[in-house]
Amino acid sequence: MKSEPFVYHSPSSVEEVVSLMNEHDHAELVAGNQSLAIQMNNRLATPDHLIDLNGVDELAYVDERDGEIEIGAMTTHKTIANSDAIDRTVPILAEAAQQIAGPSVRNVGTLGGGIGEADPAGNYPTVLTALDATITITSESGDRDVGVDEFFIAYMMTEVGENEMITGATVPTDPFPIGRTGMSFLELKRVPHTWPKLSAAGIVRVDDPTRDDPTVEEARLTFANASDTPLRVEAAESAVEGTSLTDDALEEAAEIAMDSADPADEMQAEAEYKEEQVGIFTKRALREAYDRALDQ
Amino acid sequence: MSMIFDGEFETHRAPDELWTYFVDPDIVADCAPGMEEMNRISDSEYEATITVGVGSVKPTFSVDATVLEMEEPEMLVMKAEGSGGRKGAFEAVSRMEMSESEDGGTILQWEAEANVSGIIASLGQRALGSVAERLIGQFFDCMEGKVEQGVDATPRMAPKSDAEADLD
Repeated sequence: MKSEPFVYHSPSSVEEVVSLMNEHDHAELVAGNQSLAIQMNNRLATPDHLIDLNGVDELAYVDERDGEIEIGAMTTHKTIANSDAIDRTVPILAEAAQQIAGPSVRNVGTLGGGIGEADPAGNYPTVLTALDATITITSESGDRDVGVDEFFIAYMMTEVGENEMITGATVPTDPFPIGRTGMSFLELKRVPHTWPKLSAAGIVRVDDPTRDDPTVEEARLTFANASDTPLRVEAAESAVEGTSLTDDALEEAAEIAMDSADPADEMQAEAEYKEEQVGIFTKRALREAYDRALDQ
Repeated sequence: MSMIFDGEFETHRAPDELWTYFVDPDIVADCAPGMEEMNRISDSEYEATITVGVGSVKPTFSVDATVLEMEEPEMLVMKAEGSGGRKGAFEAVSRMEMSESEDGGTILQWEAEANVSGIIASLGQRALGSVAERLIGQFFDCMEGKVEQGVDATPRMAPKSDAEADLD
């Protein structure tokens, strides 16, 4: 099918986008258009106005500052995957971008689109949750910053309200000192270019990688598609913190993570299978993150 | 496609305190997510226009709601039929039960069985269930807020005598 008719707008600044949203009812923002077009062509989504963000150049940036890195909403997956600044400070984000779909999607798909879609299987929501990022939401009354833990509300439902737009994401980098931090992003995906059945993001910071059996100072563990929003398992993180990532600690973390998961059945992956995989991916992601923290 | 949603909600207010609010159609309409308009047909029947969204999918439904059973202050059963034009339709029977908790508050349990048809059904139970449960959570939070604020409530709903709690 083809979409229902709509009026197309092509603003060139955030200010213009915000005023267009206020001016028109039933308006939808479009970024890389890798998901919205499908829903429009199926006539599930029938906006009267389409506001195209591709002319808003001010939203495509990677800004590395002291203690944080900020990425604009219109930055493409490809740019994120190839960014030296991101690869150096928060490599897991570059890895996650590199694993989204195929090259044609990565060339146009954007960070803001991926966050706004809030698909439970999405890479960015899970990785940004592991990184404890902040999402900036902009409207006529200015910017407001929302922590990722509050941003994702339900399946494809976020904190973004009427006449608001996502303008960027900011990741604090202080918790991840280069040289003793390792990050890992793993997908359970049997076929390339599809959505993963499950993904895990693991981050480990050790005290001193040159010592024998370095101790985990801080760990992060999150999952995609293990629940209807990104799942962070803080109790599993605590289980490995203060240890040298022993098998026992990993086993305990895996048990806790499996208990916390509440995945949905899918045609090619039953809930029970995904739950089992949560345990396996807990161990793999934390192990890989730990090994990377030591190997620098 | 047939779906079952359910959930539980707790508050420190007693069931008989809450009851008045749940049977005041104006307060219910005020708290219902996406409610654009509601008209009273009788104390048992209401028609409403509701827009709810899953991402960029935002169907507007014309809803006919009927009160089927009422047992003050513990049980309320309603039926709703909604038509979203070309996007599809649903019919649902919801049952809400309130019981007093040990500390004098209320444990509210709800369950809804729905038949969803048309292209909205292609979103699947995973999406619709997640969003429905979240929206109902927002509804109960709002209702609790009304009770806490001490908003005036007038019990006006009445069960329809000959109605049945079955889906067609």
